[in-house]
Amino acid sequence: MYENKFHWARKIGFGFRPENIIPSDINEWNKEQLISKNEEIGLNGKGEWPDDFNFSLEERLNRLHVFMTKKEKYENDKISPDEKNKLIVTARNENRVHLHDVYKYWNNSIYGHDTYHQRLIHFWANHFTVGGSNNFRNYIIGDLIYNTIGENLGGSFSNLLQKVTLHPGMLDYLDNVFSSGENSDFTKSMREEGKTAGLNDNLSRELLELHTVSTAKEYSEKDIKNVAKILAGWGLIVNLFVREFNQEKSNGNIKRNVSLKDFIENPYIKHRAEPGNKTVLGKSFSSGPSALYKLINMLAEDDQTAQHLSRKLAIHFIGENVSEEEIKKIYKIWKATNGDLAEVHRVTLEVAQRTKIKKFLWPSTWMFQCIRLSGAQFISDKNRNNGFGEIQNNGLPKYEPLGILDEIGHNFWSSRQPDGYSEKKQDWVSTEHFDRRIRIASRIYGANPLLAGEEIAEIHEFSDRTKMAISLAKTSKDKFIVALCSPELMEV
Amino acid sequence: MINRRHFLKVLPPALALSGYPVHGFTKNAVDGRIIVIMLQGGMDGLLAVPPIGDDDLFKQRRALVAANPLKLNPLFGIHPNFKNFSRLLKNNEASIIHATSFPYTGRSHFEGQNISQIGLKKAFSVDTGWLGRAMDVAKITGKAMSLDAPLLIRGATEFDNFYPASISNTSKPKNDLLDLIKNSHDQDMMETFEKLSQSLMQGSNELRARDPLSLAAKAGEAMRQSDGPRVAVLTIPEFDDHSSIGSTTGHHPDLFTLLDGVFGQLKKSLEETWKDSIVLTTTEFGRTVQENGSEGTDHGYGSVGLLAGGLINQSSVVANWPGLSNKALFEKRDLYATIDYRSVCAACIEAAFGLDHGLIIDKVFQDKNIKRTYHHIFG
Repeated sequence: MYENKFHWARKIGFGFRPENIIPSDINEWNKEQLISKNEEIGLNGKGEWPDDFNFSLEERLNRLHVFMTKKEKYENDKISPDEKNKLIVTARNENRVHLHDVYKYWNNSIYGHDTYHQRLIHFWANHFTVGGSNNFRNYIIGDLIYNTIGENLGGSFSNLLQKVTLHPGMLDYLDNVFSSGENSDFTKSMREEGKTAGLNDNLSRELLELHTVSTAKEYSEKDIKNVAKILAGWGLIVNLFVREFNQEKSNGNIKRNVSLKDFIENPYIKHRAEPGNKTVLGKSFSSGPSALYKLINMLAEDDQTAQHLSRKLAIHFIGENVSEEEIKKIYKIWKATNGDLAEVHRVTLEVAQRTKIKKFLWPSTWMFQCIRLSGAQFISDKNRNNGFGEIQNNGLPKYEPLGILDEIGHNFWSSRQPDGYSEKKQDWVSTEHFDRRIRIASRIYGANPLLAGEEIAEIHEFSDRTKMAISLAKTSKDKFIVALCSPELMEV
Repeated sequence: MINRRHFLKVLPPALALSGYPVHGFTKNAVDGRIIVIMLQGGMDGLLAVPPIGDDDLFKQRRALVAANPLKLNPLFGIHPNFKNFSRLLKNNEASIIHATSFPYTGRSHFEGQNISQIGLKKAFSVDTGWLGRAMDVAKITGKAMSLDAPLLIRGATEFDNFYPASISNTSKPKNDLLDLIKNSHDQDMMETFEKLSQSLMQGSNELRARDPLSLAAKAGEAMRQSDGPRVAVLTIPEFDDHSSIGSTTGHHPDLFTLLDGVFGQLKKSLEETWKDSIVLTTTEFGRTVQENGSEGTDHGYGSVGLLAGGLINQSSVVANWPGLSNKALFEKRDLYATIDYRSVCAACIEAAFGLDHGLIIDKVFQDKNIKRTYHHIFG
């Protein structure tokens, strides 16, 4: 049982800021945490999130299209290489959006009142990893995290799975945009022209293995192939999205009255799809776009999905050594409600509140908690108070917050494998990881924290041993760093 | 049909097990070094080392064969981007193992990567790596050139990692501060802080570059010191090319160039210690024999292992070639793996650490059926 409210707020969220009013009734606070919509908190916790830092998915794809078009033009223009680079960089800066998303990610973690909701967003963004290995997918990763995941944590898992699977980022990241049915008109005409076309099973495999039933289901290669056939025809390459949409429309493959906005929500192109029935895990699916919806429902409702995801949630919020009984409580509500995420998240919180198991935190969770609980600030301000980010004179965010995520090895915008970041302590313990912790702690000290090392130790009821180490440190900076790098703050 | 007896060296399907009555070191004071390069994502072995003498290659693959592979023998060629590696082959300092894999046919990256690091048949069954266990038996130290400590090296009593930081307005932590932090932690974490403390005392220069070539240079530099680590682990990610893999040029060929550069850099930076070294690649699986619909290849089974270092006396391509006809493929789609790659890892451990084969398969790979391939590679 988490008696200390400060420990509890870190167990399921990012902790309390020193200026927060500490709730007298923690159960009331828990109820407030079980919201399912994003809170739009302003920079440094003041006011509202700036409107010009928000972008719809349509706008993101259009901005990318503008950048791509300009870039191609400059590359073909007869101008000097220096001039070319300068123009391309300007076009990129004018259109990019991912640094705004990174700012939201920091700001919501450090200032958001909906701290459990934010932690859940991080959990699901990791479960549905979309790597940002190129500059293009970065345009839409923030949309996946905050609009697709953040806005759909109150409904069913089936609904979330459908929205994530059809997100242009996922369809691009796992190569579905390159897949077309072997017997589709598209593949036939491509092959007649001597070009390669056909199935690509990357998304299919990970949809089964990572996103839903896991390898415990013992599906066959044939099942994977048939899932790939159902997925064929969905999605367009992200950096060519608008262009291909327009082309397919003018070729008559997308109806005239379908807008880009409509198409993004249902990015199905019939002439690339595989005709005919397909059988997956013994169930038959007819041709057409409805097959994917039905397949997603079937996978979402599978018992192995319930088992796989109950375990993942339990490990993330409770700890690596979570007991089978604790997992079972989450599994039971999953089964009883058919994967109603609001209920599943509620029970996860309840199980976490009663556990004795500790969780070694991801470095990003630890970092945001440290900034938050010490009262340090995110954005540098006019009073010359230091932070991590800055709004530049041109109104744009800076790179450093993104760079820091790379440095600590936990960056949702980086290139990485589809299984996401590890939940195992051993994967985050190394000399270099600890070097980063110390460096980040020293940067937090420079970002105007309101609390000193000793105060943090007192509030968070550190052990005598850690308190002793803090008292032996010579400077207030060293005391602060010892407190932040303590076992009490790395694990909760 | 190809004559299986044609190539340089052939591993017979049933090798006689070497006797292993005495557990311990076969040779006294072997001062070898092992560098493992983990090729993450699944390298396409048929693109790297195409069996150009096998007519079925061109029947199965329409596009994904480099235009001008360097011919190694009647059966095999190597992708032209392996310039350094080809030179090493010519100088009898490199070898190739083909149609090989760790014992895993499931085609999942994550199970495959786990098995390629733990070296056992069941994924996620232990928390230590085959290299870590070998280091533990041989009582030697190592260094991982990454932010984390890869599973492969865990289990060794002494290892640390190197991956320089780049966070503005920060510097290396001071030792008195580290001591205080260390003392607030429990034993396991304390040891990691202690290692950090030791690495700071060594006062290595502040190298910022973290690309595989720079890390290879740094690994070689550390390993050539008399008290330096004898094991290093490097990672090259992004081999998972499901689309536009490239044939003569492109993404996979670019990765070959990078890998080739790492081989070149290691030879250069290891200096004199190159003669006592063996560098080997690992990958979780090979890729499908046929290309998929998007000029890429999907997850497969058999692939290729590249070995280089002064411990090799005679270059060779070691393979028990299964062929590429439809009938010869694993589940009608993948290159069959006819050599358990763990037997190659075992040979490298034997050559570099001087451990007896029997001890290696018992303590490290925990599988007495692993054949001894030492004489094929180092004999």
